[in-house]
Amino acid sequence: METLVRAVIGYFILLVAVRVLKRRAGSQMTLFEFVLIFLMGGVIILATVGQDRSVVNCTCAVIAVAMIHRALAWAKSKSPRIGALIDGTPLVLIRQGAWQDEAMRRMAIRPGDVAAAARAQGITSLHDVDYAILERNGGISIIKKL
Amino acid sequence: MAEQPFTTPVEDTVPKLDGEVAVGEDLDFQRRWWKFERIIWSVFLIVIVCDLLGMFGHGWLAKAKVRAPDGSLTIEYERIERANTPSTMTLHIGPNAIRDGHVKVFVSDSIVQSLGAQRVAPQPAESVIGQGGILYTFLTTTGPAEIQIQLQPVLPGPHSFRIQIPNSPAIEASVFVMP
Amino acid sequence: MEIALWTICRAAFGYFFLVLIVRVVGRRPGRQLTPFEFVLIFYLGGLTLTGMVGNEASLVNAVCQILTIALCHYGLSWLRLRSDIAARVLDGVPLILLGEGGWRTQTLSKMMIQDDDVMDVARDQGIRDLSEIRLAVLESFGQINVMPRSKADGEGGA
Repeated sequence: METLVRAVIGYFILLVAVRVLKRRAGSQMTLFEFVLIFLMGGVIILATVGQDRSVVNCTCAVIAVAMIHRALAWAKSKSPRIGALIDGTPLVLIRQGAWQDEAMRRMAIRPGDVAAAARAQGITSLHDVDYAILERNGGISIIKKL
Repeated sequence: MAEQPFTTPVEDTVPKLDGEVAVGEDLDFQRRWWKFERIIWSVFLIVIVCDLLGMFGHGWLAKAKVRAPDGSLTIEYERIERANTPSTMTLHIGPNAIRDGHVKVFVSDSIVQSLGAQRVAPQPAESVIGQGGILYTFLTTTGPAEIQIQLQPVLPGPHSFRIQIPNSPAIEASVFVMP
Repeated sequence: MEIALWTICRAAFGYFFLVLIVRVVGRRPGRQLTPFEFVLIFYLGGLTLTGMVGNEASLVNAVCQILTIALCHYGLSWLRLRSDIAARVLDGVPLILLGEGGWRTQTLSKMMIQDDDVMDVARDQGIRDLSEIRLAVLESFGQINVMPRSKADGEGGA
């Protein structure tokens, strides 16, 4: 029983931890982020399972996590507010060619990061960018000026 | 001259949408899959409920308490155990088992071997092996008295054990160890 | 001897159970895994491996279990190649989200996708709004692919 409770709590702790680590600009996961994930995940796993390392216990913990994840996904689909709470919303960085300074500052993004995303679409100059949007998963979408 | 690679002509096997875009959708299969998913999630829910109730060990349904007919011994144990997981078996000694400040308890070999006894608390004053088990002698004053055996079973499957105060009826029970 | 057999069984069970869980839990549609999904993968995998390994931390144990997993994976891949039905069961099929008739509402609701998600992907390709999309398909591995209307049939579209 405690394992199930700990599994659910662990899931939410991980969710909050990932949200709090600021959304990094750029779609690539750097090495450091992999290491952090490994660290956080590993610690929570050991805390969830504790001394009881039987197949039965771990399987039930996995099932509990899967069920919570699915339940949250369903809740997100029914209520946009919950989706915004859990995943965040897309954020506009460049609007009609103009930098949105507050957004850039709060998400700790430099113009160079936006330029890199633009280059990925073959755009060489930021003057050609109409809109740049920081997506929920951390990538930046670029919309060219017509 | 290099060998010609094996080739097959490009056939139209991917189902088309509107006769134009080759998407390969198969809604029939997907509907059956969605039904399958519903079943799977119900199974998961049942598994979790069983786990909470203790059917997989260490829960409410698994706890058992057995009493010898003459009251000399009561054992609290788990009917369903989990492999590689520590758990405690408690022996309550009744007053009619204590003679001359000693109490002797016979435990079958299976407690030590297949159920993996790690520790007997308190330490017995004497352990005598033989007759398919171990005869422990504990120093006692007056009842009630308790002995705890720490178990950690290794292999899954059913295991039976026998615990007896000499000259009293034996308690025999079996434990099922889950993986 | 029994313990060795038992160890292999645990490894095989862990592998197949993970295949089932990953298939059934599903993922947010998108080109990449979100950071939380990475963490979730590690969490689920780590819990499964703790059950597999238990308290037996020897090298022999590790090698045997890794080999078992590798064999199971090879077997499953072979099966996926040889059998159409197996491929559909293991991977899923592509599903249309937005077609000429409009949104496929049953698909959208069962897969828990909103039009926001389709727009996310469309923005990636530089499309400005929904009317420019001709076809949106949810691939079996979770990615959404969007096909824009070409300029030619944009005027006469539905």
